[in-house]
Amino acid sequence: MLIEIKALRQELPGLCDIEPLALCELLASLGFPVDAVDTSNGTSVLEVDVTANRGDVLSHRGLARDLAAKLDMELSALPVTTLREGAALMPVRLESEACPLYATAILELGKAQGTPTEVQVFLGHMGANAKNLPPVDASNEILHRLGHPTHAFDADTLQGALIVRWAREGEKLVTLDGVERTLTQQDLVIADEAGAIALAGVMGGESTKVTAATKRVLLESAFFDPRTVRATAHRHNLHTDASYRFGRGADPAMAQMARDLLVQRLEAWAGAKLVGAWTAGAVPPTAPPIPYDQTLLERVAGEPIPRPEALALLLRLGCQMAPEPGCLQVVPPSWRHDLSIADDLAEEILRLRGYDQIPSALPPLEGAPEPLSKDYLKRRRLASKLAHLGFCQTVTYGFVDPLESQEGNAQVDEQAWRTLKNPLGEEYSLMRGTLLRDLRDTVALNLDRGAREVRLFEIAPVFVAQPQDATTPIQERWTLALAWAGETGGEDPLTPVRKVSALAGKSHLIGVLKALDVPDAAILSFERWPLAGVVGGAKNQLGWQFEVPLEAIPDAADRVIPAFKAFSRFPSVERDLSLLVKLDQGYRPLADAMTTKVRTSAREAFQDLRCVDVFRHKSLPEGRQAWLLRLRFQHPARTLTSEEVDGWMASALDVARSLGAELRG
Amino acid sequence: MEPSLLPIDILDAQQGFPKALVACKDLDGLMRLKGVYIGREGSHSARLMELLKAAPKEQKRELGGAINVLKNAWEEALKARQIELEEARRRLATFGNTWDPDLPPPIPARGAMHPLNQLIDRLVDVFRPLGYHVEEGPEIETEAHNFDGLNIPADHPARGSADTFYFEKYPELLLRTHTSPVQVRTLLRLAPHIEEKGGIRFLAPGRVYRKDEIDPTHSPMFHQVEGMLVGHDIGMHHLKGTLAYAMKALFGPAAEVRFRPSYFPFVEPGCEVDVRCPLCGGSGCRVCKQSGWVELLGAGLVHPNVLAYAGIDSNIWSGFAFGMGVERIAMMVSQTPDLRLFFENDQRFLKTMGGLD
Repeated sequence: MLIEIKALRQELPGLCDIEPLALCELLASLGFPVDAVDTSNGTSVLEVDVTANRGDVLSHRGLARDLAAKLDMELSALPVTTLREGAALMPVRLESEACPLYATAILELGKAQGTPTEVQVFLGHMGANAKNLPPVDASNEILHRLGHPTHAFDADTLQGALIVRWAREGEKLVTLDGVERTLTQQDLVIADEAGAIALAGVMGGESTKVTAATKRVLLESAFFDPRTVRATAHRHNLHTDASYRFGRGADPAMAQMARDLLVQRLEAWAGAKLVGAWTAGAVPPTAPPIPYDQTLLERVAGEPIPRPEALALLLRLGCQMAPEPGCLQVVPPSWRHDLSIADDLAEEILRLRGYDQIPSALPPLEGAPEPLSKDYLKRRRLASKLAHLGFCQTVTYGFVDPLESQEGNAQVDEQAWRTLKNPLGEEYSLMRGTLLRDLRDTVALNLDRGAREVRLFEIAPVFVAQPQDATTPIQERWTLALAWAGETGGEDPLTPVRKVSALAGKSHLIGVLKALDVPDAAILSFERWPLAGVVGGAKNQLGWQFEVPLEAIPDAADRVIPAFKAFSRFPSVERDLSLLVKLDQGYRPLADAMTTKVRTSAREAFQDLRCVDVFRHKSLPEGRQAWLLRLRFQHPARTLTSEEVDGWMASALDVARSLGAELRG
Repeated sequence: MEPSLLPIDILDAQQGFPKALVACKDLDGLMRLKGVYIGREGSHSARLMELLKAAPKEQKRELGGAINVLKNAWEEALKARQIELEEARRRLATFGNTWDPDLPPPIPARGAMHPLNQLIDRLVDVFRPLGYHVEEGPEIETEAHNFDGLNIPADHPARGSADTFYFEKYPELLLRTHTSPVQVRTLLRLAPHIEEKGGIRFLAPGRVYRKDEIDPTHSPMFHQVEGMLVGHDIGMHHLKGTLAYAMKALFGPAAEVRFRPSYFPFVEPGCEVDVRCPLCGGSGCRVCKQSGWVELLGAGLVHPNVLAYAGIDSNIWSGFAFGMGVERIAMMVSQTPDLRLFFENDQRFLKTMGGLD
């Protein structure tokens, strides 16, 4: 909202001693921060930010009133002479509760028509163009100065009675902006007997507008229900100065006064003559009184506030006190629609005292703190671990492009259930069912930008539609996705280059999963996961990626320190076995068979069997590769003899031979 | 010595000897040179000995003397050079056993936690000593949790499809626009146990969605951290004390907070909280637009309607809530110029921002 300091000072002369900068601080302390100050027009115009609950300060008078309460100053008197109303010159029928009050007047305009220059300048500062049509400009000026929207019709265009009613479904109205609007039964209109002539509280109609040729005007100064006005403005996407103020709650008690001021201005500026003034309806009852609660006030404030001080502040705001037996009732002023409970009054008292006066204290710890949730701790532990393993955490949007989503096995109709109705664009319309697509794109982006090695991970929910489940139709499954691409090493004399994108690169990623305690079963199934595996496609292989549901990763152990596990103090024995195996020999069946056999005979002395080297070369017999297997033995209670180890090794070799391997010469 | 006694090629060899000696850069070369000059067979000295044998008797004495001088000179010079070269080899061998520490060392791979996650974890750590734990809720919410339970009127503009993402097939579902629905969920869940637990206090971090176009300061998805405390006789002073503590823990002991009145439907009174600009300390800079203060979060005392929605008696229980934008704080603290950097995930950005402990 724009506020001209000069006009503000006219409403509250006490402000003349306050510099603009101090005024800005003051406004901020009342809850109205100043976003910008424009001094280009010779006077300072402030752009004041007003919260949605304060329709009462959307004018110079309204803001001055709040400042006056804060500073305990007097507002200047409104230069208004109350009109003597007479009989209605034409029937005004209020057919809806959304308009309880309609003050009006008919004037004959004189010859000398002109809006005073200072008013034109003021309107310019308000961002409005003065039309040099006194009925329009005066109405506008009163809106910005007092906050009450009014309207002037060309009285000679009106046919018969004036009716405030709900529009008929499909009824047409051309508003002042020249747009033909199709109305609904939820739109409140001003109508004459020929049809709608204005959208109540939002905008007048083209057919009844005031022009330079207008001889007689009918003024409107009414009160419209805020919800109705908000809904209509929203429905027709027609947000005007009037709808802004009515929509946030105008002051019904101001309606007649605004009309009187408008009449006075037209008499002065346009030599107008009042034909008659009258009012239909009545000022609606004010909000119910609020019981004054001293205990609540002091609880909210955090310190004792003497009751007389608190009451004085409420009086300064325009509240009235209605003492009732046992309880003081506070009646909010007609312009404060936001005050309805004792907490609201407490806020007002604190606001006027200044929030900087509120003391500071830590609340007592009333109950025992709860532990941090396992899920949160798991994600945090994983992220930290992966970061230490050299991976960078990414954050990407939860929605993706359905066309590029390539979710593999996801069904198209399953996707429909997790599609947004009003996305930012088609490319952000599907709640993603996998993190891998975004991860793949991020890998590609980093490689494109010259990264030699890309290691990324994301921990985020993926979305799975389950329409048959009424309570959770779209499940959110926390997931870890991991990618490793490009080449690693080669940055120093000691670390050779290894291409992660190569065939064996997958092992690097599996190693990371093992370091995270992802169970083998989950790792084994990764080949089957949609999108898992090669980044960049089989032809243009960039690296490897896959994802795993967080529930597959074990929680951190509950014990503070794990249970003790005995280990042997006797020497361990390592023996290597170099085998020639077929190129298509699977490692796991061979290793499992050998392990089972050796474990049967060596029992607790068996520790480990693993392949430590794979050798493929044309010097080997065709169709064969060499595996170097290392077996480790250690007995918990004694030193092993070389004879028994020889025996175990021989049995291991037997098993290997039975599976088609042979000892490499 | 009469020069005529020695053959011309020997004299040439003698003349070239010092140069040849210096030209030997290693022991192998020296051994070859030694063979050429003083070797047993075929060397210059061997030839000289043959020459001496064949020389007439009267010349033998003189020739022998000359040959000896020559041979001794060669031998000594070769010996000296050999010592020199052996010394050099020993020196080199010692170098071979050392490693220049200035050579680039292998550095263990360094990753990074995303700065937004780091900040969230940091906030959890800050509030942990005050007894806050973490509560989380789904990103896909109901209107009831996201709006109704928070005292947000049915015709509030935030409910419109211009601000909030809705689902094609579920009219009641939306992408949560703030982390406040976690308040509603947690209050509903804990309301029956509130007496035995002695109140409620938690932090709710998470991702939220609003229908904003992507630009340097807007994103349709961002992060919030919500905090809530419910207890007996909770007032604005408790909110102030808590946030003052938290900001000092986050920004250092000089951090100060300032409350300004504001309005959110789910709190009463409501306030916005500024912190003394952590970058300039309050003297005024670009980040705080010369004001010395930066807006950090919205807060207030929990509205009685919010407690009532969860079935908690606001005559007995009261509380406060606060909510902050994680990106906003991250951008302010790091002076990152463009919000989109947080979601682009360039490794160079992530590594710079993601300092590990």
